[in-house]
Amino acid sequence: MIQLKTLLSCIDNSGASIVECVNVLKKKRPATIGQSPIQSPPLRGRTRINQMLCAGDRIVVVVQKQRSAGSEATTAAALANKVRRGDIRHAVVVRVKKELQRPDGSLVRFGDNACVLVNKSGDPIGTRMNGVVGQELRNKKWSKILSLAPVHV
Amino acid sequence: MALPAMRPLGCLWSLMRAYEPLPMINRRFISTAYSKRPEKLPLPQDMPPQFLSQIPLRFRPDPDRQPLKIYPAPPSARKACKDPIGAVTESQLAVLDPKGERKAMFDYRRNPRSVKPGDIVRVTFKNGDPFNGVVLSIKLRGIETSFLLRNELTRVAVEMSVKVFSPNVNSVEIVQRSEKKRRRARLYFMRDRKHDRRSVENIVANYVRQKKAFLGGGNRRR
Repeated sequence: MIQLKTLLSCIDNSGASIVECVNVLKKKRPATIGQSPIQSPPLRGRTRINQMLCAGDRIVVVVQKQRSAGSEATTAAALANKVRRGDIRHAVVVRVKKELQRPDGSLVRFGDNACVLVNKSGDPIGTRMNGVVGQELRNKKWSKILSLAPVHV
Repeated sequence: MALPAMRPLGCLWSLMRAYEPLPMINRRFISTAYSKRPEKLPLPQDMPPQFLSQIPLRFRPDPDRQPLKIYPAPPSARKACKDPIGAVTESQLAVLDPKGERKAMFDYRRNPRSVKPGDIVRVTFKNGDPFNGVVLSIKLRGIETSFLLRNELTRVAVEMSVKVFSPNVNSVEIVQRSEKKRRRARLYFMRDRKHDRRSVENIVANYVRQKKAFLGGGNRRR
């Protein structure tokens, strides 16, 4: 349930630590890790509902807090940061606090909301990730993020 | 014709008007007998047809008019199957849990050897990846019986509710019983920071190592 003004933790090494959601892309409802598309026959005279449900987990964020945010802006760590405070970036939601139902009926709930910054073409900005991510990313062609993540649930 | 001398008497009438009895409309007394609504009389059989034009159109006999056909009600589904949900549950249980092992394993109200809230449990799924955690609650709901596991992975709390009779669940193993007697059936207070069990990965890893040493690497199914 990521929507406008939601604060998420950023779990990659792009340099952002806390980001704020400013837009949910391709979706008219709050973003989540993303349900896997469930095939159902198209309703007569309407668009497929499931297409809307599985449309997107990509969001636009503003970097609110930098990692190693301190007075020494000239240190090596700060220079390695690829994003700065106030940057507007795209991100992929990888953990959500709201419980998520899998197709087999099991529910998954994480302790926090987290995302990974990506560029416009969908490649992750950071090179490393720390933290567990949801397995739903597999259905959504985010295998790059999945391979970077240490654990998936 | 009112004489000027009679003028003062003229206002007497207007005073009297206030004491006039109300008009006799819609007045009904207890003594009024209730009379039934008069029944509709059929038209006389031998009425000459030239009188028909005097009868209002809606009362004239219509030779084309047929009585409404009344269909019998469809057979009641409720009578055919008294407890449909129970029947589905039973038929599904017969498919998913023919020996009743899984049911017994989570029937914590009756079976003292079952999984209980507070136990540490290891679940292996069909696709191979396991999930470990403390059992927070067991929902006994027939075929939809599920249990809620909580664990901490990479310092992030993860909760997973797993359906007991899901064919995706390969095995469920009790790693450790809860050390103290739980007085509650739902241990949601363990989400609080004060009571959080944090990660149980170490305990489970220990258990897996011991089991491997004991069984020689075999994978026992429960």
